[in-house]
Amino acid sequence: MEARKSLIKIKPKRYKNGDIVKVSFMIMHPMYTGASKDKKTKKIIPAKYINSLKFIYNGKEITNMKVWESVSTNPVFTIYMKINGKGKLTVKYTDNTGESGERSKKIKPKG
Amino acid sequence: MKGKIILTLALFSSLSFCGEQFSMSDADRALYEEMKENNPADIMLADGEELFEDIGGEKALAKFLGVSEDDLPSYIAGFPRYVKKIGLVVGLDQVLQAMMYDKGKKPFKLKSKKMFNMVAYVKSIANDEKINIDVNADPYIKAMYKLGKKVFMTKRGGRGLSCNSCHSPSVVGLVLRTQKLPDLGSNGAKSAATWPAYRMTKSSLRTFQRRFQGCMKNALLKVIPIGSKQMVALEVYLTEQAKGSKIEIPGLKR
Amino acid sequence: MERREFFKTVGAVAAVSAVLPTVSFAKSGNPNKMDYKTAISAVTNGKQPKMSDKVKLKVPEIAENGAVVPVTVIVDSPMTPQNYVKSIHIFSTKNSNARCLDTNLSPANGKAMVATRIKLNGTQEVIAVVELSNGEFLMNKKSIKVTIGGCG
Repeated sequence: MEARKSLIKIKPKRYKNGDIVKVSFMIMHPMYTGASKDKKTKKIIPAKYINSLKFIYNGKEITNMKVWESVSTNPVFTIYMKINGKGKLTVKYTDNTGESGERSKKIKPKG
Repeated sequence: MKGKIILTLALFSSLSFCGEQFSMSDADRALYEEMKENNPADIMLADGEELFEDIGGEKALAKFLGVSEDDLPSYIAGFPRYVKKIGLVVGLDQVLQAMMYDKGKKPFKLKSKKMFNMVAYVKSIANDEKINIDVNADPYIKAMYKLGKKVFMTKRGGRGLSCNSCHSPSVVGLVLRTQKLPDLGSNGAKSAATWPAYRMTKSSLRTFQRRFQGCMKNALLKVIPIGSKQMVALEVYLTEQAKGSKIEIPGLKR
Repeated sequence: MERREFFKTVGAVAAVSAVLPTVSFAKSGNPNKMDYKTAISAVTNGKQPKMSDKVKLKVPEIAENGAVVPVTVIVDSPMTPQNYVKSIHIFSTKNSNARCLDTNLSPANGKAMVATRIKLNGTQEVIAVVELSNGEFLMNKKSIKVTIGGCG
């Protein structure tokens, strides 16, 4: 399967060590609740939703989330993170059908 | 005829009623405004960028249009426009189709996701530019502006509604189910600057012309195909109203 | 399994749910179905969280659509190893599964905040329950009017 499209955004774009930045993770995922019907076939669409997220900064898990089906389609998750050295931030996800994936972003503090 | 007038009146009285009941506060609107910071369409534009690079990117587009790469953003901000190579007034999506054709690739359909992603990315190259369409630039665009105005004003369909019925200056302040009806008929109506946009209720990226189709369908007007003369004309007309507005793509809409 | 244990082992939980067959709720009922009182009690181990202005819940008073409702929870906290927000839980009072998002934070976050967008099945309340590092539970709630969409 083609990798699911996702994105990590850090605000502000320029930051230095010690700064607390906003981190947003976005992913194209249908987040089907299992209760909706396909408009064309009238069949129930089976549940498929992200159920777990982990935010890992330089090998250390700083935040994890248990996600439920009421989170919107193409979800966005935002937290804060304290910048503490260069390296990378990885967000790992799994969904209720066993699909999993990850997205990383380089962390490059200025000064 | 009389029936149609009554229906129209009934529609408007219910609109104003909803306005009293369910108008969003400014604080609520600010919350929705904040959501633009993280627009799910950002991912779709990233996909569009890859697709655009596959057909040569900005360099190829500038060459196709006969402008310098430096002038490309402000040139994009003037679409739809008459493109000599094509011999028609066209939107950016049709230019991309022509480029694909020139490259020997099968052009994406105008209503396909890939095209929506790509055209949204291409328009975003002009972000922060002001819309600079010139409807007097040549006789072709002049005629399209005139046709677009006609399409906007013509009452048709089951309820005898025109675009103008719900989107004229006289609807300002009216609310349809929590939504302020946008006035698209006056100068300064900015909509054209924020489409393509992510539609939250559709969980997808849509173009301006695709939005016209949704509105036509729900207002019981026969839906006009994307890229048709009438549809491009309507976009020309509404883009002229948005002249001078800052382009901010992707938009984020209900 | 204790609820709190449950949250500590998100990874393990994910692995378990991975082997569950795909289900359609309408036929079998929503396997995640849980009312908000039960869901909150599971998180707090039966303790009643205290209403507190330290928990700021930012939601629209009127949601312009039920499919994408922005929710932000911000908690006043120094986020030091001695005193931080351990978790932020978002619940809805009328969705068939009241649980929306459970977030476990750490001092490395610097500030205690989580923002996402949720689906709401009609007008209801959204509740944020927060667990502090000293074991205390705080909460706040807001009601949201959800109107159906207009044209298109």
